[in-house]
Amino acid sequence: MGSDTLVIIPAYNEEKTIGNVIRSIRTQIPAVDIAVVNDGSTDRTAEIASRYGVAVLNLPYNVGIGGGMQTGYLYACVKGYEYAVQIDADGQHDPADLPRLLQHARNGDGDMILGSRYVKTTRYKSSFMRRIGMILFSGLVRLLSGQKVKDTTSGYRVVNRRLIELFSGYYPTDYPEVEAIVYLKRQGCSIVEVPTEMRERQGGSSSITPLKSVYYVIKVALALFMNVLRYPKVREQA
Amino acid sequence: MNVIWFSLLFSVGFIVIVLDLVRRQRLKEQYSLLWLLVGIGFLSVSSNINALEWLAGLLDIQYAPAVLFLLGLIFSFALILHLTVVISTLTDRVLRLTQEVTVLKAEVEQQPFKRKEGRA
Repeated sequence: MGSDTLVIIPAYNEEKTIGNVIRSIRTQIPAVDIAVVNDGSTDRTAEIASRYGVAVLNLPYNVGIGGGMQTGYLYACVKGYEYAVQIDADGQHDPADLPRLLQHARNGDGDMILGSRYVKTTRYKSSFMRRIGMILFSGLVRLLSGQKVKDTTSGYRVVNRRLIELFSGYYPTDYPEVEAIVYLKRQGCSIVEVPTEMRERQGGSSSITPLKSVYYVIKVALALFMNVLRYPKVREQA
Repeated sequence: MNVIWFSLLFSVGFIVIVLDLVRRQRLKEQYSLLWLLVGIGFLSVSSNINALEWLAGLLDIQYAPAVLFLLGLIFSFALILHLTVVISTLTDRVLRLTQEVTVLKAEVEQQPFKRKEGRA
């Protein structure tokens, strides 16, 4: 361990893109430590990742994005990292934004720095259905946590030690992004949204099909309400 | 053999099987208590038809054996709900174990030379 920052890349069958993602992170921040969470991939994801000399966390079977991500946070917690970055393995998050996101975290602007597609006009275009979901979740999050978050499902995030420890203890299982935001707000943590450039995915396919998206919306909405009922509001710490 | 004797034999057999499962450690004691209660319930209902008819009258049910179906259904739903709660707990624990093993595995792999040094 050389750095105080760990970049966590959750990956499930991302052999086409994982190498590029690792390379471009290294180009932006050469000294940073990287951990690939290989969530039971059946392709060569683990092999390719380990060729780059990064830490590879090989889950013995597929546990889903939430369980996988939490494995990364647990690793960061055990290893004593101060900051953890969460970035997608499919190449849609541009590591060029990473130094700027990290700087916000180091400045203490918020416990979580969220790389967002919508804060300023970026080139990213999303499908109609996706936009509807985004607006719905955004409204729910605002209603339940009082926080305005435009891009609630973005998986491009930087968190500090406090959230590394919090997420090691509890992290939502499937479709965790939105619930994690409400959860950290309930725990009195702060979140700052920063505009980032999103690219089309470089390979692989979205895990969300039309039928799944209905389940997705209902499950996440239910989880948000449960989160509010489960955890009493903690006052935000300065 | 009429239905009364059949029910009595079945109830006794059921209780014996549950006890034997516990003895052979195939069933945990806390779950066995539940099934023993069910067995005793069977036994008391089948040995006392009047009780069943009294209960049917109380609930305004014309056909007394329907009370049995009702009780059976309520019990089944409650039990299945309980089992999904148990499965949820198990799922959480298995996930936690999986994560901890994965992290430990990664930490061991990062120290490939320590073992060799120890042997030398």
